[in-house]
Amino acid sequence: MSKKSRAEERAAKAAAALAARKRQERRRHVLIALAVVMAMTVIVGAGFAINKIRDEKVDEGISKTTAYDLSIGDEDAPHAVIIYEDFLCPVCQAFEAASRDEFAALAADGKVYVSYRPFNLFSDGDDPRKEYSVASAAAFAVVLEESGAEVAKEYHDLLYENQPSEAGPFPDADWFVDLAMEAGASESDVRDGIEGGDGVDWVEKASALAESRGVHSTPTILLDGKEYRDGRTLDEVAANLAAAVS
Amino acid sequence: MKEWAGLAARLLTGGVWIYAGALKLPDPDASVAAVRAYELLPGDSAVTVGHLLPILEVVIGAMLVLGVLVRGAAVISALLFVAFVVGIISVWSRGIEIDCGCFGGGGYDPDATSKYPWEIARDTGLLALSVFLVWLPRSRWALDSVLFRHTDHLEGLEELDELEEHEAYEGS
Repeated sequence: MSKKSRAEERAAKAAAALAARKRQERRRHVLIALAVVMAMTVIVGAGFAINKIRDEKVDEGISKTTAYDLSIGDEDAPHAVIIYEDFLCPVCQAFEAASRDEFAALAADGKVYVSYRPFNLFSDGDDPRKEYSVASAAAFAVVLEESGAEVAKEYHDLLYENQPSEAGPFPDADWFVDLAMEAGASESDVRDGIEGGDGVDWVEKASALAESRGVHSTPTILLDGKEYRDGRTLDEVAANLAAAVS
Repeated sequence: MKEWAGLAARLLTGGVWIYAGALKLPDPDASVAAVRAYELLPGDSAVTVGHLLPILEVVIGAMLVLGVLVRGAAVISALLFVAFVVGIISVWSRGIEIDCGCFGGGGYDPDATSKYPWEIARDTGLLALSVFLVWLPRSRWALDSVLFRHTDHLEGLEELDELEEHEAYEGS
């Protein structure tokens, strides 16, 4: 064998070895990339599942009724809707505007039982919005106690129609009394209670109830014990919910 | 030089993702509400997105900071930023005033309109950094250079001799 061909053979061998190693390396890289992608997918999937489980705690079970609500319709109606809401929450106002009349009609037809549950969403004592949130629900509790469910429903609706901005300024007790009278309450029945904050205890208990049920945002809407959020906007949610119970 | 720029882009973009995702992780309910406030997603898909986004953000951020599969992570990062910019432009043009929910929070915000331009600028900047990383994923201090290190060169003729010996041995 000549020297030259020996060198050529050696070069060819080197090239072949190099090509084999390149193939091997490419395979190794693909496997590593696949392993990393799979690991990341597992982490994202696990985090997603944990988040989902943690968020699915609002479940009312069979307790349609509570002492801290305003209900319309027949308790034995085929469907029960529970609405946790805060009188200061603008989204609740939008939901009320979209759903109120329809739910009233459906309840009157015996198709649905609706339990409105106003509470104070702001657990942080320093939140400036807490004051109105508590005062409005407390005034509502006084009207419910003194003037009955029908006037209280009207008061509930008026509180939403006249909702102040979340940024304030917030109205005083006189404003709550005037609104109660507009709803049909007599001043002598409600003034002392509203000015004296007699409903605050009711609000604290209603808020504790909401907290114990895992309600942390408003409005939280439940249909037959399960949280209902089907819809792009709250208007859609209201329309879908009405369609689901009618 | 470009490799140092890549490192800076990775740390900045990845850091923002980790920060944004970690703030949202503890409160899935608020995250869903923030997504819902955009009024863009049909049915209850906002729930799925609200649950998925925080963990996805943390993982993408971690991949960028550590330098793992930088190009892939940067592609997803860029797509997410495009989606966020589109979302903010969409709510702005529809006159909906919401907190973007980028770093937790979300929902109605009366001052939102004055914040939208800055939020769009910020997301566009981070989008540009993500695109830079798609274009040039190699950077300093990236785990990728360890995971995918190149060994496809023969270390001189000595190694070839070893190979030949090996082959001879196997052939016998």
